[in-house]
Amino acid sequence: MNLFASFMLTSMFMLLLPIIMSNTQLYKNNLYPHYVKTTISYAFAISMIPAMMFVSSGQETIVSNWHWLSIQTLKLSLSFKLDYFSIIFIPVALFVTWSIMEFSMWYMHTDPYINRFFKYLLMFLITMMILVTANNLFQLFIGWEGVGIMSFLLIGWWYGRADANTAALQAILYNRIGDVGFITAMAWFLANMNAWDFQQIFITQHKNLNIPLLGLLLAATGKSAQFGLHPWLPSAMEGPTPVSALLHSSTMVVAGVFLLIRFHPLMEQNKTMQTLTLCLGAITTLFTAICALTQNDIKKIVAFSTSSQLGLMIVTIGINQPYLAFLHICTHAFFKAMLFMCSGSIIHSLNDEQDIRKMGGLYKPMPFTTSSLIIGSLALTGMPFLTGFYSKDLIIETANTSYTNAWALSVTLIATSLTAAYSTRIMFFALLGQPRFNSLSPINENNPHLINSIKRLLVGSIFAGYLISHNIPPTTIPQMTMPHYLKLTALAMTITGFILALELNLAAKNLKFKYPSNLFKFSNLLGYFPTVMHRLPSTMSLTMSQKSASMLLDMIWLESVLPKSISHFQMKMSTIVSNQKGLVKLYFLSFMITLTLSLLLLSFHE
Amino acid sequence: MSMVYVNMFLAFIMSLMGLLMYRSHLMSSLLCLEGMMLSLFIMMTVTILNNHFTLASMTPIILLVFAACEAALGLSLLVMVSNTYGTDYVQNLNLLQC
Repeated sequence: MNLFASFMLTSMFMLLLPIIMSNTQLYKNNLYPHYVKTTISYAFAISMIPAMMFVSSGQETIVSNWHWLSIQTLKLSLSFKLDYFSIIFIPVALFVTWSIMEFSMWYMHTDPYINRFFKYLLMFLITMMILVTANNLFQLFIGWEGVGIMSFLLIGWWYGRADANTAALQAILYNRIGDVGFITAMAWFLANMNAWDFQQIFITQHKNLNIPLLGLLLAATGKSAQFGLHPWLPSAMEGPTPVSALLHSSTMVVAGVFLLIRFHPLMEQNKTMQTLTLCLGAITTLFTAICALTQNDIKKIVAFSTSSQLGLMIVTIGINQPYLAFLHICTHAFFKAMLFMCSGSIIHSLNDEQDIRKMGGLYKPMPFTTSSLIIGSLALTGMPFLTGFYSKDLIIETANTSYTNAWALSVTLIATSLTAAYSTRIMFFALLGQPRFNSLSPINENNPHLINSIKRLLVGSIFAGYLISHNIPPTTIPQMTMPHYLKLTALAMTITGFILALELNLAAKNLKFKYPSNLFKFSNLLGYFPTVMHRLPSTMSLTMSQKSASMLLDMIWLESVLPKSISHFQMKMSTIVSNQKGLVKLYFLSFMITLTLSLLLLSFHE
Repeated sequence: MSMVYVNMFLAFIMSLMGLLMYRSHLMSSLLCLEGMMLSLFIMMTVTILNNHFTLASMTPIILLVFAACEAALGLSLLVMVSNTYGTDYVQNLNLLQC
């Protein structure tokens, strides 16, 4: 009897300790961040033991601890599902979080509320752990909402800034729309299968699963910023860089993809859902890659890059490869977090300058950041044998050799080349050339916290792909034979993107355009999507409700229809018809004379 | 006929004269209208009581109701004229503008 479940639960319980300690004196001194970081590193080490046990023997566990409540025939208990997905994701997430905590010890050093920041980050991590280890939909929903709330608190960290509050509210609203889909799925499962446990859902046969799967797809659209519910992710860059690195690149935004991966036995049989997922992912990845091409804020470019990679993960689910999507989640976490951390290093060194048009020539003063940024970008674009290659190249190969929608496939390939293009843009503007920043910025990257954290993720970006993909148990068989032009497609698209972007940047380096073209405006303003969708529906619905409630009901039906119309009609008619002159006394007198005369005449009639 | 009826009939004729011949105020014709109503009411009541027309005993009440309505209408017309012109002089009613 090995200690598989014990180690895993210990590792997750350890994360709760700093939260419990927050009422004591430990929270008030300035060693608390160090304490949190050490806790997470120990939790990572302990969680590697069950991971290695899983790798060697394939052991999976489901731990059902505590019977929570029974609602008529539904039994809810606290159950943890430690299977392939959870066991591999938890060490990866803990590793990345460890590095990010160490990075934010440098980045948020001058912040007076740094202890609260670490507490929020830790609470976010705990809710994410709840989400990935949940065995029933109720526990997953708790984790789901928890990450949403912590995202709100962390995006609005600098709450004095109006833009940050707007962005936090925007994140909550868009996630809420996705939650409607989640709750629809939960209600359908409750009504038709009487269970919220994954095991029972996957066993019971059912003919038409379109409604709950559509609900889950909507939930993934909201949480993972797919097209239609995507504007919150670039706006979420208002939060501090560690928040962007942790939430909006590695962990929270993959929750939607993770949900779809969890339900892969249901999605395997449903071709309609797969097609929908494929098309949604394809349009997301292309649209956000287009938007990333002309952005000027370095964090926004990386945010759009995240969104594009999320679209790629959804495409992978759409071609019925959940395990490949999961591999891409794990490898993507490494280099994306590192990209954000390098951006944070650049931003802090240039005294909070985030515009790439005002950076340049950083390869001499910041060599370490430069090299890690370049390695991260290469890993992102899928350079052979770095981390991204093992997942991204496999995805492109599988998509090329499978029987799918040709439009989605070509769009994904175009987005792959655009990935290389905007990565080149970041590198060209931020690192190469002559400096364009103020000359008195104290550029210093010699802090051990910064160097160690980026170094750890750098090693991960280079080797993690190889290590993970050679140690996981075999699941779906990758396509082994294909024509050579299909095999080299991903590489060719990437190299095309690199060369094109480099040539364009070099050629137009000192030129300035007077009037932006329409395509530029489309790309820079995010496809006009936020401009239209944030103003038009709300204006229309408010105007319509005001018109119908106030104008229609009150003023028309209650006032105008009978009372005012009758009086108006009568007055009009009387002025038109009457031709009297109002000589009332004359009329009365003539009446009286007629009366008297008739009385006199008739009384003397024989 | 008896003196009572002649008396009340004369009262009615007096009020009718007052209604049809007034100098300047619209209010005086409305007051005479009320006088006509009053004399009619008394005449009707005395006739019914003297001749024991039991079943017709509700008629004075109905007369009162309709007289009240007509008084209200007349007063509202007076108020309309007074709103427009400030007074109720009959000489104002020559323009017929609404």
